[in-house]
Amino acid sequence: MRWLMVALTLSALVTNARADELTPEESAIQIHGFVSQGALLTSDNNFLANTERGSFEFSEGAITITKQLDSKLRVGFQLFARDLGPLGNYSAKFDWFNLDYHWRDWLGVRAGRVKIPWGLYNDSADVDAAHAVVLLPQSIYSIANRDFLLAQTGVEIYGYRRIGALGALDYRAFAGTVYLQLPATPAVMYSNEDVPYIVGTRVAWETPAPGLRVVGSVYGAELSADAVQPGVPFTLHPVQQSKGVMASLEYTADALVVAAEYSRGHSEVTVPLPGMPPSVSAVTAEGGYLMASYRLAPWIQPAMYYSFSYPNVGNRDGSAQHSHDSAASLRFDITPNWILKIEGHAVRGTAGVTEAMNPDGRSNRWYLLAAKTTVYF
Amino acid sequence: MRALIAIVLLAAVFAGCADAAADGDSVRVIVNAKNPTAKVSKQFVADAFLKKRTRWSGDSPIQPVDLGQKHSVRAKFSRSILDRDVSAVRRYWAQLVFSGRGVPPPEVTDEDAVIAYVAKNAGAIGYVSASATLSGVKAVPIE
Repeated sequence: MRWLMVALTLSALVTNARADELTPEESAIQIHGFVSQGALLTSDNNFLANTERGSFEFSEGAITITKQLDSKLRVGFQLFARDLGPLGNYSAKFDWFNLDYHWRDWLGVRAGRVKIPWGLYNDSADVDAAHAVVLLPQSIYSIANRDFLLAQTGVEIYGYRRIGALGALDYRAFAGTVYLQLPATPAVMYSNEDVPYIVGTRVAWETPAPGLRVVGSVYGAELSADAVQPGVPFTLHPVQQSKGVMASLEYTADALVVAAEYSRGHSEVTVPLPGMPPSVSAVTAEGGYLMASYRLAPWIQPAMYYSFSYPNVGNRDGSAQHSHDSAASLRFDITPNWILKIEGHAVRGTAGVTEAMNPDGRSNRWYLLAAKTTVYF
Repeated sequence: MRALIAIVLLAAVFAGCADAAADGDSVRVIVNAKNPTAKVSKQFVADAFLKKRTRWSGDSPIQPVDLGQKHSVRAKFSRSILDRDVSAVRRYWAQLVFSGRGVPPPEVTDEDAVIAYVAKNAGAIGYVSASATLSGVKAVPIE
């Protein structure tokens, strides 16, 4: 399926489609890209990489090729590679590839691998140039879960419609699947991962109040896999049902941007057991943040946020059951194509700090210094 | 350190004053001479340049054309019509380009090129300064 879509995309790129409604400038192939290099240093706890001693394993690169085939039909893809601690290792992947038929402003269809609309920033979470901060609030936009949360392969229906004095609606609905490989741990090894479906929608209301957007997002998904555990004489077949909702607000007034989001997700895992009732476990997680940025001048933009997460609202005790992250950041636009960001975090709690990367234990209070520079065109 | 912060804040304030002064200069929106549109709203023009609206009322495609990012008329247009500065518009397009949801309008180097582009393409819409000499295009008032 994936390679079929890639083949379709590439063939469409080289096809002389009907372009009579386009100017030569509009019909030209557009090539964009970015390269980022970051650094992470923590006072305690290895976070995302071996950061206690400082890590440069925080690199990204992407190239995007897009062609408008006629005034309604566009095709394109993005190749993306990253290295983030144990993740990525510069293996290039198709971030997205799709055919986009924009029939009317209020109705369009994208087919292929499409970024998942979730909250304000999920579909642009890896676009460093679009954000004031190095790390978006990890309670909502976990960089470690990027491979699962970023895009789905299927179809998306979208549109934009003005609703008179009430402002405008920007809506997207999607259905598809996600290709993923669950990481192996000493406790379990997964194979035959399958996501039969992931569905969801996001509606953004551009209110009559200038600069104020109100956004609601929901999704539902199923994930199944074969799991082998040491000491268990048979293969388990867990099935996870997940659903989530998110409410978001964004207010932009000139150089000021204030954003707040709150999400809640529920997962239920059922494991059929031979000769016994199935094992069922459920967990509800929540997270949210408040972030503000102000562009003092075109070349400098300070930002700060507070972000919290509880991976299991039924158990908020213990440092691994919460995270409270206060961050302050400075973005410098050195040239129109080159940015530099420096960011400090003071964190209480270790939700999101993996045990596997910290076998000697985790500290409840810790600090993170992050820097990242990006060139884009 | 306190002095450095004060200098940065003052620079930002003066930059804001300069922008406000620039807003006082008028920018004219132009369309192809054969385009039947007699006037447009500010919202329509903003939606057209951000590609939230892609069709004229007769269903023909809207073909916006931008000036280069360093052009002073582009800065005035961004502030007065799009209600954001050029760097914010650039970030808007970065989000769309790298998430596969859109591409920005083509950019040309000067006002003569904008006029030539609009004169050549029936669905085109552009903007120039009040002092620009128009040929093959017409200025449409903003309601």
